[in-house]
Amino acid sequence: MNGNADDRPEGPATAQLFTPGADAIYRLVLMTLVACLVAVPVLGAGIVRSSYVTGVGIAPSQPVPFSHKHHAGELGVDCRYCHTGVEKTASAGLPPTHTCMTCHSQIWTGSDMLKPVRDSYTQDKPLVWKRLNKLPGYVYFNHSVHVTKGVGCSTCHGDVTSMQMTYRANAFEMQFCLDCHRAPEKNLRTPDEVWNMNWKPAADQASLGPKLAAQYHVRGGERLTECGICHR
Amino acid sequence: MIRDPAPAIRPGEDMRSVGEAVTTITLAHPAGRRWWIAFAGAAALLGLFALTLCYLLYEGVGIWDNNNAVVWALDIASYDWWIGVACGSLLVSGILLLLGVEWRGPVSRVAETVGLLATAAAGLYPIIHLGRPWFFYWNLPYPNTFGLWPQFRSPLLWDAIDIVSFLVLALSLWYIGLLPDIACLRDRAYAEAARQIEAVAPTRKTALLRARAYGILASGWRGSAAHWQIRGQAYRIVALLGVLLVVSVQTGASVMLAGSVMPGWHGTLMPVSFLVHAVLSGVGVTAALMMLVRGVYGLSSLVTDRHLDVLARLMLCLGCASAYCYGAEIFDTFLAGDAAGRAVLMRRMEGGHALAFWAAVIGLTLPPQAFWSARARRSPLILAVVGLLVAAGAYADHVMILVVTLTQDFLPSSRLPYSIDHWGVATFVGSIGLFLTLILLFVRYLPSVSITEIRRLVPTGAQAAAAASTRRPEGERDAPLWGVAASFPSEAELAAALQALSSLQDRIHLDGYGPVPMPRTLRALGLEGRSILPYALGGALVGGAAFYGMCIYATAYDYVFLVGGRPRFSWPSFVVPSVSFAMLTGCLAVHAALLWLNRLPRLNHPAFNIPGFLNASQDRFFLAVELRDDSPEAARIERRLAALPQGSGRPLAIARIPR
Repeated sequence: MNGNADDRPEGPATAQLFTPGADAIYRLVLMTLVACLVAVPVLGAGIVRSSYVTGVGIAPSQPVPFSHKHHAGELGVDCRYCHTGVEKTASAGLPPTHTCMTCHSQIWTGSDMLKPVRDSYTQDKPLVWKRLNKLPGYVYFNHSVHVTKGVGCSTCHGDVTSMQMTYRANAFEMQFCLDCHRAPEKNLRTPDEVWNMNWKPAADQASLGPKLAAQYHVRGGERLTECGICHR
Repeated sequence: MIRDPAPAIRPGEDMRSVGEAVTTITLAHPAGRRWWIAFAGAAALLGLFALTLCYLLYEGVGIWDNNNAVVWALDIASYDWWIGVACGSLLVSGILLLLGVEWRGPVSRVAETVGLLATAAAGLYPIIHLGRPWFFYWNLPYPNTFGLWPQFRSPLLWDAIDIVSFLVLALSLWYIGLLPDIACLRDRAYAEAARQIEAVAPTRKTALLRARAYGILASGWRGSAAHWQIRGQAYRIVALLGVLLVVSVQTGASVMLAGSVMPGWHGTLMPVSFLVHAVLSGVGVTAALMMLVRGVYGLSSLVTDRHLDVLARLMLCLGCASAYCYGAEIFDTFLAGDAAGRAVLMRRMEGGHALAFWAAVIGLTLPPQAFWSARARRSPLILAVVGLLVAAGAYADHVMILVVTLTQDFLPSSRLPYSIDHWGVATFVGSIGLFLTLILLFVRYLPSVSITEIRRLVPTGAQAAAAASTRRPEGERDAPLWGVAASFPSEAELAAALQALSSLQDRIHLDGYGPVPMPRTLRALGLEGRSILPYALGGALVGGAAFYGMCIYATAYDYVFLVGGRPRFSWPSFVVPSVSFAMLTGCLAVHAALLWLNRLPRLNHPAFNIPGFLNASQDRFFLAVELRDDSPEAARIERRLAALPQGSGRPLAIARIPR
């Protein structure tokens, strides 16, 4: 048996393998790892929701510095004058150069700013705008059903008449769509209010909303949150 | 006919020889060449796994020949098999621990390792069998931009929670069991490093690095009586949580099948047969691996005939239980089953995949019958072969259950043939490569049998008392004093010495250190009433309640999504994931308590300055008296200790320890 354990030649003078400073480092590393467990998901979630990723509020430069504020706001041009398909088709439609030229063949005909428009017209090449509002290919979205059933432009696109250069007002994540589909009556307007860019829910929206929903035959909640409503 | 069982440890072993036998494997590594050959083979299979995964990510799950009807084939069969092996080995280890079986030492470590590594191999499958694996986290409840919750009523979600909990539990059971052994390894590695530094050996820096690596893994374990107490409680609580989770996981796997409307997946015996086959395959893999480690590293003195015998008997029982499950299922289906059920059973027995059925029935039930013979029960080779055969049988069983049903459901239009594809096999073989690589790394770098548990078998009188000698290093007299330490050959003497000093307890802080759990020392220190059970219970209850609350909030209030006519508040379906999650949080609470109550991690501690303290993880017991100030107390304590009678408290050595 090993009775003489303490006289064994092997073994250092003490069992102290680490300096006192090692503890501080070790604990710091452990705490950092634990903090990372929380911080990394939080950071990731923050980045995904930031304007950097979603592009909300950022106006990209366009081939022509078209101002919705000037045209739709100050001059009062109706949305449907340019976006002609919005009441009848799935896509609201981007206006062809001809639409611009209905006015600009008469006014500001020599403006440098409008040169790309005139070039597009004479060369018969469409202007290539940067798209702002994108939906994934697996989402079925129809403009006409929304605007004819009391969902106004500004509900999704924001107050376009105040935008000098146009930007995305909402991120159009699934959450955004579902918020409304789960409780559509909160955002339903009377037909004449659909084009009002400054619309705010009426004081009696709580009682008006369900009435409008019934009138438009909008079945909220269960029906509108079915997967197949948007993903076909 | 009850005979005295063979001893679980060969006579003549003592604490030091046990520690040396096991730690020598990792430190000196006697089977170097054979290990490298095996490692090269395993790494090649791991390479195959990487290749398959790359091709899979590029091409999609179609490479396995899965199709619209057979959506689950070898991928889910492999997953079920791996998690079954994990569950089986964890259940065996957990139950042996909870029953306090004294000979469990050699079995538990291998079983816990198989449990952990099989979970690692299994855990990949649920991810890689997805169409878009990089979105696997969509299965988990997290604040997302979809405005959606996962479907808490679905067994698929239960499974996601189960596997996360299971991985954490397997890891923590393994680690808590390993902790004192790593400390033992650390001390042996440090002694070796010190020897090499003295001899200016060229590998001395590596040796020191290795000791430090084990030191970090051991988190400053000092083997104090309080450490052992909390660790023992934590081990048992995590084992209990693990056993509960095993039942939840295995029955969950069968409920996942029963949640569908496919024929042949609704037998009420299925949860039981899943559990039986899981435990059988887990014991089989554990036994095969134990025989391999025993043979290669010559551990027949620690893994004795008694252990072989017990594993063999266990396999025999489970083999008979498996035979009962098959018999009952066949009998019940033919006697009382509907036409679809009978048709599935007929297709299993004579259809295109009949090979899987017969391989399962024969592999699971017949090989264990060899163990009716006592000679077969003591043969390592037969044990290993039978272990592998039942594991293969369990795999065939999973393939049979999944594929036969899926190739032909109720609709003639959704019948598609399936044949096993070489990429599916390559994925499974690759996952075996992952498992083997990790196993080989484990036997190379960590103690493959539990030193702590085997040491508890060593008879207490095994250490001879040495003559008392009082050594006082002269140079340390002037340094600020942390305390006085004394070493003892046995726990009984340590406890006696502590008793003698207990009257001074209000002015000094006493602690005892040793290589095994020390109940008598705890009593002498007055700590025996401590329990971390409230922490575990609190953690489990808070976690489970929080998860259950989340399910209710999500399903009944925030995300009302009516599917299959289920009620908004479908409370029974939320119980399963909540229980699994409670196991997870309970386990985390146990870990927090283990660290907090032991004031760990603490890599540097004055106790490590005690002369010969490296032996605190080998065969010595130490008493440390922490002094509140530099009072004459030190001399008084030394006198009192030295005055104790030989053999009942007189220390081998007394030393003053600098701060």
